[in-house]
Amino acid sequence: MKKLTVRAERCTGCKRCEIACIEEHSGAKSYGTSVKETPAPKTRIFVEPVGNRPLPLVCRHCQDALCVSACMAGCMQKDPVTGVVTNTGHEQKCVGCWMCVMACPYGVINMSLDSAGTAQAVFAQAVKCDLCPKRGTPACVEACPNEVLGVEEIEEGVYQ
Amino acid sequence: MKYVIIGASAAGIQAAQDLRNIDGKAEITVISKEPYAPYSRCLLSRFIDGRLPESALYYKTGDFFKTGGIEGLTGEKVVGVDRFAKKIRTDKDRSLAYDRLLIAAGARPRVPSMPGTGLEGVFSLHGLDDALGIIKRAKEVKEAVVAGAGFVGLEAAWALAKRGLRVTVVEKCQQILPNQLDRTAGSIIQKDLEEAGVNFVLDESLTEAGGCDAIESVTLADNSDLRCGLLILATGIRPETDLALGAGLKTDRGIIVDDHLRTSFTDIWAAGDCIEIEDVSTGRRSTSATWFNAVLQGKYAAYNMAGLNKRYTGSVGIQNAVQFHSLPAISFGKTQVSPEDGQDYKVLSVKRDRAYKKLVLKGDRIVGMIFVGDISRSGFYAALIRNGIDIKVYKDKLLDPDFSYAHFKYAYFKQEDFGQYDPYFKTAECWDHPEWWELRGRCMLAEGCK
Repeated sequence: MKKLTVRAERCTGCKRCEIACIEEHSGAKSYGTSVKETPAPKTRIFVEPVGNRPLPLVCRHCQDALCVSACMAGCMQKDPVTGVVTNTGHEQKCVGCWMCVMACPYGVINMSLDSAGTAQAVFAQAVKCDLCPKRGTPACVEACPNEVLGVEEIEEGVYQ
Repeated sequence: MKYVIIGASAAGIQAAQDLRNIDGKAEITVISKEPYAPYSRCLLSRFIDGRLPESALYYKTGDFFKTGGIEGLTGEKVVGVDRFAKKIRTDKDRSLAYDRLLIAAGARPRVPSMPGTGLEGVFSLHGLDDALGIIKRAKEVKEAVVAGAGFVGLEAAWALAKRGLRVTVVEKCQQILPNQLDRTAGSIIQKDLEEAGVNFVLDESLTEAGGCDAIESVTLADNSDLRCGLLILATGIRPETDLALGAGLKTDRGIIVDDHLRTSFTDIWAAGDCIEIEDVSTGRRSTSATWFNAVLQGKYAAYNMAGLNKRYTGSVGIQNAVQFHSLPAISFGKTQVSPEDGQDYKVLSVKRDRAYKKLVLKGDRIVGMIFVGDISRSGFYAALIRNGIDIKVYKDKLLDPDFSYAHFKYAYFKQEDFGQYDPYFKTAECWDHPEWWELRGRCMLAEGCK
């Protein structure tokens, strides 16, 4: 099953992965116009600082994913074939209850929240890494200039 | 092997699914007293205000029972368990033998003892029938009262307000969500809901619901009246323990289970809202009524019923994520410290405008949190609580805006992955070196690490 790998020592914290992720998940596939989209697309990979060091946090597409157990709408699912954990394809069922955000130990589920609307129409949906189903290599891996991010076939279960 | 599961909500369905995955040949029967396919109770308020169609409530595929080869008996109530003969009886006079039984009977709404709760237009909000009744009634009336400002009460109030009703929430405590939040967080959420048109009467209780056939008004303890055509009773739930009591199992507030979800009698397991289990955040046994807990318990019950012998640890009774109007909020574990709890507890909090974060520490461990407004990374804190992680090194950093799993991963670089795949396994040794910047430059120039 496809998994992301991180060679943390090579990361300079340029955040190109975050921009590529936003771009890939925007309607026009463009970072420049993404700010104009409603809801604005959010990154699903997070380059976080530790002291003065950057460390990319990625989704592990867990074997027994807590976000899947937490989802009360049945929209966060783990694909039995590809092993990808995502709500893509079922997002219309997502009601923005944020249980998955509370469940993920790595803190890599983002919130697409547009409260600029009226009281009647607040948009709220959880977004997380879907390993870019429409492309061979995930956008963040392709965008990384330092080969920090990689994608590999790794058998699930061997790391337990 | 013959598995029988009583209850077809979060815990029961999860258990059925996992049992099927583990044992392809097992005979699995799920019995539910409600005549519907498995649906999500938590979504009912969103069905009431029309954000979701009825079809979206069914969180599993329509043919869940069929594709899984699971026998689903819906609209049938289990009336007795004979633990010695290993049989259950239903209200349709069916008798079913089991090898292993899971009781996931859930809970039922508590109805306050006051006159008038039998009137037309008085509802609890627990099942799909209630929701359908409320929708029908809400079309005919303009004013509604919700008794109780817990999660169910507020969800209902918010839904009715969205439908354009004038809603008043009556709560006997001095704050909303008294079990989950503290005063500060409660007042932020309350203001958010008030802006959206929900009215609150706190520190007050209902004494009577009045009307001829249908409800016309409610009377409060201070003798004032509130006109309403719809009353929703959201004054809590009670674990469904009748079956377990009848079967002679050990119960307290809920069915008592051990860390393998076993009840006090062999071959009977229990999971979901009907059980009572030790809470790691408080160290005491507690009941819980959250979807997440029920699913996890159903999962572990299934593992143990199938003989995989897995311990269910890290149970935290209170874990709620919610967003009513515009503010998301999380409450997790022990969120309030009272003087009776002793001196061991320490509270860290930051509040800015409508964003509020609070952590409750006991010694070197976090035992509870409340996040309002910005809830990103709350899952990381939840994992620290659930796994009882020592946070001594980070004590002064805990509420920094950039405190994240990265800190944790950095300090214990290879050790803590919460039992999952480690994406950092290729990271070179020099990561931790004091001259990492220099070394990385060399790596980039393909000189290799030194």
